[in-house]
Order: sequence, then structure tokens, then C-alpha cells
Amino acid sequence: MIRFWQKRFSSDIKTKNLAIDKELATLKKELKSEIAKKFASSLAIRMVDSGSCNACEAECNALSNPYYDLERFGVHFVASPRHADVLLVSGVVTLNMLPHLLDAYEQLPSPKWVITLGDCALCHTLPDSFAIAGPVSAHLPVAHHIPGCPPAPDAIIAGLLAFLRKL
Amino acid sequence: MRLIARFAEQLPDGFEVIDIYDSQTQRHALPSTDPAIDSIAARYPAALWFERKMHDDFGIRIANAFDTRPLVHHERFPAVHPMRKEFTPGKLQLAEFKPYKYEAIEGEGIFQVGVGPIHAGIIEPGHFHFSQEGEAILHLEVRHFYKYRGIEKMMEGRDPADGFAIVEKISGNESVAYQIGYLNLLAQAADTTIDENIRKYNAILLELERIAHHLTDLGFIPNDAGFGAALAFCSMLAEDTRRMLHRLAGHRFGFGAVRGETKEIDKDALKKFVAHLRSEMEFFRDWIIDIPSLWDRLDTTGRLATTDAKKYGCVGVVARASGVALDRRDEELYRAHGWRMVTQPGGDVAARFKVRLEEVFVSLDIIEAMMDFAPARMTYDALRDGSYISYVESSLGELMQYLRIEDGKIARYFARDPSFINWQALHLMMHGNIIADFPLINKSCDLSYAGSDL
Repeated sequence: MIRFWQKRFSSDIKTKNLAIDKELATLKKELKSEIAKKFASSLAIRMVDSGSCNACEAECNALSNPYYDLERFGVHFVASPRHADVLLVSGVVTLNMLPHLLDAYEQLPSPKWVITLGDCALCHTLPDSFAIAGPVSAHLPVAHHIPGCPPAPDAIIAGLLAFLRKL
Repeated sequence: MRLIARFAEQLPDGFEVIDIYDSQTQRHALPSTDPAIDSIAARYPAALWFERKMHDDFGIRIANAFDTRPLVHHERFPAVHPMRKEFTPGKLQLAEFKPYKYEAIEGEGIFQVGVGPIHAGIIEPGHFHFSQEGEAILHLEVRHFYKYRGIEKMMEGRDPADGFAIVEKISGNESVAYQIGYLNLLAQAADTTIDENIRKYNAILLELERIAHHLTDLGFIPNDAGFGAALAFCSMLAEDTRRMLHRLAGHRFGFGAVRGETKEIDKDALKKFVAHLRSEMEFFRDWIIDIPSLWDRLDTTGRLATTDAKKYGCVGVVARASGVALDRRDEELYRAHGWRMVTQPGGDVAARFKVRLEEVFVSLDIIEAMMDFAPARMTYDALRDGSYISYVESSLGELMQYLRIEDGKIARYFARDPSFINWQALHLMMHGNIIADFPLINKSCDLSYAGSDL
């Protein structure tokens, strides 16, 4: 432990000076002000994967890494749909997930919005199959779509911003 | 013998069940009316899911089976066998609710805890059913296949070269691995070998994919034990890795990157990245190893004994952390280019953490050694009919793919994701642990839902 701290004090701060480009910084700033205006500085999102390949989830997780750190701007991924403003759905809707997706949507308090994440949600990525119950919009009222396969973290931020501006 | 996969396919005059072991392949011919086969689950416990899936998909009856519950077809899935050739694709409608009987231990004071399919975090859907005695876990049943997309059927009837677009989207964290395995299948069908330059280029992408995946886990495992700083640190490096992959392959997850040709890469940038990541990970190793309160949570938690790992035929990090030296990269090209086997004897969360940490360094060595490839390109036009098997070590473990080509089109595709085996061994890690440690144990294995569900 002592060895570590000796080394630690003699080395640099490990997370400083991350290269964040201007465009992203502007996006984040705008996102923050939009959330402050329209969601009292706190936008709660419940993410549901109804049949993705997990890349969309990985990119969503990447939103909380030090490059993006979305929590700072008031975006929270919450554990229960009952705490959420937005249901963020990724992936095609599989037959096995359909009842659970509808159930999760029911649990969201109104007013509520559905945002789809990634092109699977439109059924544009994989061929159709017997086990796929169609795109998300066939089952839920979709307020906004964030395109990409998967959308990169900055594309997700831009997508959320576009959604907020529409409101 | 280690059971790798057990799956069925339909031939014009009946069915065939194919058992793939590490040392041999057995084929069993079954009639087209009332096909049935004996269960081998008593000898090979991981055969259970294969057999239940086979029944759902093809309607093959498993004689003397002790578990005849459906696997991939859930409560409201209609009573069809969709993998049969005579099944006409079309939209299925949700059917009447049929209750599923969970494996539950019952008794005075014992209660059941159901978790999922939708979990608290940003995770894929799956269900975990616990029988609890207070905090102690008595039994866990893993129930998945919520993401069952019918990938196998999607592939059928297609031109084999078109399969890439589907296999790369089976499991995002293993996309490069799926593509490399699939390229290998096509190379076999074209009766050619993959040029060493192409293999080296592919290997670099595969190792980057592995690093990104391992780094995510190296962050999330300590995070689940309450040490968030590791997540911030590792997720930053994982992001760097994704960006590097994007730079080399044109996609953050390597979609479309493996098609049997090399791309020109910025070798200086890659070298710089490797050197930077190595020094950062050396810092991380020194840092994390000196935090006793963290290791208190990781040590002896979620133990998988070597005998159990072997009995279930576990693969990948899970196997290597239980002392089973099994890695598909154990071959000439990799051995000559920086690969070495990483194992740990403990079988606990700590062992899986250490294996991942060490493997990041191995991957960096491999990338460095594989960088000297020349431009190359291969063709796979004239594909011969036949059945082919390929293996690749994905970030999760041994990935097996099977392809049968008939009249130039895909007649059957099957993928055995490493997770399909490892999920079945997860319940063994629960004995003597409390439910609060489950997320930690689950994360330490970090298995794929999408890959296993297909």
C-alpha cells in the first residue's frame, strides 16, 4: 500500500486532460441546458434491451466513462421503469421479450416517452424471422429514434438532444 | 472427452443429431417420424440445454430425459418447431400463457427470488431464479433465451458469403470473433487456407476486441464490489481501445471488418497505443493489487472447482480461472507471436479477475508481434457443398460455428457461443455465497446473453 502511494504521488493524475473535442463539449452543454429547461435538470431513463446484440448496451455504458460522463448533465439511467421519464429500447422486439417490454412500458408513470436506440429497433439490421415480433414502433408509440449500428456515444448524446428539442 | 456441442439438423430423409467432442464427432441418424434420441446429460451435464433446445427447435424427443421443459420457447411462444424445413416462415402470434416450472428448493423458511428478465442496469435481458435461505443462496436457475431472434433460421437459404452480415451482429462483444470463425468456414468450403497476413490482421482486431471487453470487466468487477474508481479508469481505457478499433477497422465493434483482406493500418499510432495501454495497465495492476478491502470481496467468492469446470466443459476465462488450460489460440501462429496460456487455480472471482488482467498484457504482446503483415486478399467464390466446423477464441472463450452448404446455399448454420456452456455452470458458483454477491460473480464471468440466445 505504501509502495503504491509513493508511486502514486510521484506520477501524474491519471484521468486528467482527456482529449474532448469541441463539438462534443458543445453538445454536452446544450444537453445540460435542455434538460434543465424541460426536465428540471434530471432526465431519468430506463433502458430495455428487447433483442439487440449488446453493442447498443455497451455504447450506453460507455456514456458514463470519463470521456462522456453523462450523469453530470442530468441524465440518469434508473433501475426501475417507475422512476423513469423515458423508456430507451434497443434491439428488435423478440417474441419472448414482447410481453416484458409492454409490461415495462406500463410501469412508466405519465408523461412518458419511448426512444429507440440503434437500427435493430427499426428491424433494419437483421433479416426478418419467425421469432421477431417486428420493430418497436409496431408495439409502442415511439417519440424519437437514435440511428446507428450501434450509435456511438456522441451519436446517442446528439440523439437525446434532438429528442429534447422536439419537446 | 469434453462435449463441445450437440445439435440437430434436418436432412431429406430424417434428422441427424451431431455430437461434437474435443476428440471426435458422432452423428446419429433419426427417422423423420417421431425422432427420438437418448439423453447424454447424465454424463455431460452441459448437454441439457442443447437437448432442450433441440426439442424446441426440431421436435426431437429426448428419451430418458429428466428435464423436458422448453428452453428457447417461453410461456407465450406458440407450439411450433420452427427449425423444421417444412415450417413456413411467417409471423408468429403470442399464444396462450403456459406456466414454466422453475427449479425451486422448497421448505420451511425458504423463499424464492426472481430477478429479471429486465435488470436494474444497462444489461441484456435474462432471468435468474434463486432459492434462498436467508441471505444464503441454495440454488440458482438461469433462464435465458429472451433474446431468441431465430438467427439459425435467418441464415438458411442464403448465399454463404451473405452470412457475414448476420453473424457479425449475433453478439456485439464478439463480433470480430464470429467473423473470423465464419471466414474460416468459408475458406474450408473454398478449399483454401487463409493467408498468414490476413490472419495476422484479423488477430490484431480480435485482440483489440478482447482488450476492450476485458477492460470493461476489469472496471465493472471492482465497481460491483463498491470500488468505482477502477471503473472510471478502465472504462476510459476501454473507450480508447474502441476508438483504436474504429481507426483500424472503421467500426467501434469491428462490424464488417473481417472479409478476407487486410486493410492498411497506421502502425505508428497502434504502437503508441500499445505502449500507452501497457504502462497504464501496469499502473492499474500495482494499484488494484494493493487494495485489501477489494480482495476481501473477490477472494473465495463464487468458486468453480476444476472438476466441475471440466465436467461441464467450461471454456474461456471461466475455465482458465479454474485451472483448465484451454485456449483456442494455442496454435502455431499465436504461439510464435506473443501468446501464452494464462491460468489461475482458484476458480473464484479473484481468479477470473487476475486472468483477465494478465490476458490484457498477453493481447498487447500479440498485437505488437502481429503488426508486421503485408497487404493480402483472398477469394472464396467457388464454395463446395459440405459441412464445416470452425473454432475461434473470442473474448469469452471458445466459439464454435458449424455451416452446411447444399447447392451453394446455407442449409444449416449453428453457433455454439462460449456462454452457452458457461451459463450452465453458473449455478455451481453459488454454493456458500450470499445473494448480494451474485452480481459480482455474474460480472466476473461476464457471459453473453445475445450469443447464447441466438
